[in-house]
Amino acid sequence: MADTTVTTPRRRFRLDPSLIIVIALLAVVVGAGFVLSDRFGTTRNFTNVLEQMAALGFASLGQALVVIVGGIDLSIGAVVTASTVLMASVVEIHPALMIPMIFVTLLFGAAIGFLNGFITIRTGVHPLIVTLGTASILNGVVLIFTLQPTGSVPFWFEEFAYGRIAGLPISGLVMLACFGLVWVFLRYTETGRAFYAVGGSPEAARLTGIRSDRIILMAYSASGFFAAMAGAYFVSRTGVGDPRVGDPITLASITPVILGGLLLGGGKGNIFGVLLGVFLISLLSNLLNYMNVSTFIQWVIQGLIIIIAVSIYVNKGKKL
Amino acid sequence: MTDLSIKPASTEAQLLPLFKRFAVPVALIALVAIATTIQPSFLAPNNIQDILTQAAPLALVVLGQAFVILVRGLDLSVASLMATVAVLATAFDATSNAMIPAIFVVAIAFSALVGLVNGLLITKRNVSPFLATLAMMIVLQGVRFYYTQGAPSGSLPEGFRFLGAGRIAGFPVNILAFLACFAVLAWLLHKSSFGRKIYITGGNPVSADLVGIRSDRVTIICYVICSVMAGIAGLFLVGFVGTVDNWVGRGYELDAIVACVIGGIALTGGKGSLWGAAAGALILVLVFNIVIILGLPVQAQLIIKGIIIIFAAALFARAQRA
Repeated sequence: MADTTVTTPRRRFRLDPSLIIVIALLAVVVGAGFVLSDRFGTTRNFTNVLEQMAALGFASLGQALVVIVGGIDLSIGAVVTASTVLMASVVEIHPALMIPMIFVTLLFGAAIGFLNGFITIRTGVHPLIVTLGTASILNGVVLIFTLQPTGSVPFWFEEFAYGRIAGLPISGLVMLACFGLVWVFLRYTETGRAFYAVGGSPEAARLTGIRSDRIILMAYSASGFFAAMAGAYFVSRTGVGDPRVGDPITLASITPVILGGLLLGGGKGNIFGVLLGVFLISLLSNLLNYMNVSTFIQWVIQGLIIIIAVSIYVNKGKKL
Repeated sequence: MTDLSIKPASTEAQLLPLFKRFAVPVALIALVAIATTIQPSFLAPNNIQDILTQAAPLALVVLGQAFVILVRGLDLSVASLMATVAVLATAFDATSNAMIPAIFVVAIAFSALVGLVNGLLITKRNVSPFLATLAMMIVLQGVRFYYTQGAPSGSLPEGFRFLGAGRIAGFPVNILAFLACFAVLAWLLHKSSFGRKIYITGGNPVSADLVGIRSDRVTIICYVICSVMAGIAGLFLVGFVGTVDNWVGRGYELDAIVACVIGGIALTGGKGSLWGAAAGALILVLVFNIVIILGLPVQAQLIIKGIIIIFAAALFARAQRA
């Protein structure tokens, strides 16, 4: 294990160019925002964006971990949806269980993630197919249970989304804290550095004594866990469990991961770049909303960003 | 598939090649048997015709998807393209059936262009198929919604209804169209020299280049084929559904991939046949039908689809290794 820790940090430093691109794009968006809109450059707007980006942040953080170990998680949206429905519908019947249910929901997400990782490892099937399968199953179960938004939570739970500490939204702060913890974990712990080794080559990692399977299971479990966090955030915002809320999150979670330079191939990338990617996407959509650009055009822009980003970070390595 | 040399090994290792060979036909027969047991009228000609009519648009998409999966690709933009082509068709606001060929030509040309862009991004820019086609899916969606401003207007000639749901001498028209496409594509893939190039490229693009095959060109053509098939499928699906909306064909991209996986086309490329792909589509539609026959909620289709795809993929992955 000691061997791998020598090489991995050096590898990450090489990715600085991708960080520079994201930072440059971010500067362009923020600069354009100040010029083009009076309301964009206000403290109030920035704190609002920080609050609204929490869900995308959680989802992208989970996706990033899976992508680093060389996988992909297409079940994130389904886990988000299932978490909101699970939490809101149980709490509606037993309001006293609100606090335990937060933990149960997070555990539920982690368990689904674990299952994804387990099936991927045991069967050798591409994670794209595995997570697509579990997503389909989860969505089916949720939609049989309810087709409409359902359940309710105590009023105080909205503090998670809307509450402010020193003027900053709690949800945004929790999201930033999660990014910080994961960054420290990936950079300064042996297990964290093993994530990059496994993503680079599971076989080589295994030969150096890293238990690849365990790392992969951890990554997928974390992805499910953070998806459930995003679910909790949605429940906090809307007060209900919504059987469709997670649909757009799966694909949305991939864009910041690409922008952060975590080429879908594994073993590379800086989690900080993902956070910048989340900021970039959120600020861009915020600015476009102020400029009254229709959602439809925003989709086109989102697609073009993906194409441009992946074309810039040409990946000669593994392809999905 | 052709290499069936069985070494003395465990019974499992002996059984897996057999599984690989016979799983698809056995599954088809079993499903028909199950459906007939539950509902004896299942095999009535009318019901069979209905099921085939429902299956045809998906089967058309599956044929195209098979080509890109064979060259180690994936096309997530097919469903979005189907809906975009459907909206494009209404843009003519034509009422005369004489316009139908023109609509088909425009739709196919547009689809080919989309496939070309996908293929160029993937081969020349080295973008992963997943991301390139994902981005294409979102771009098409945005363009479509912007053009329609959320609600498509315009009309299609009456003749589309006949193409999508009509019958000629008892044969659903769209199934006849499928059979025609299948004949052409199966010849291309399994009989022509270009088909060999597809398998060699999918097996190993680098060695394909070394033996003088322009693997990039082969890959691009496969993406064009996939998009054109999706475009054609979009027109037939509109004819079947009868109305155009922005989400025509929603979910078909995943169903098409599932059908290919069930039909034994390896996501690692270079393995599988068009017969398998077509059978996979039929299996999927049969399963969906059985869910309905059993009186289960439609949403149960999602659960069963998820279970099937994981199991089928796992079994084929195992058979591949054995």
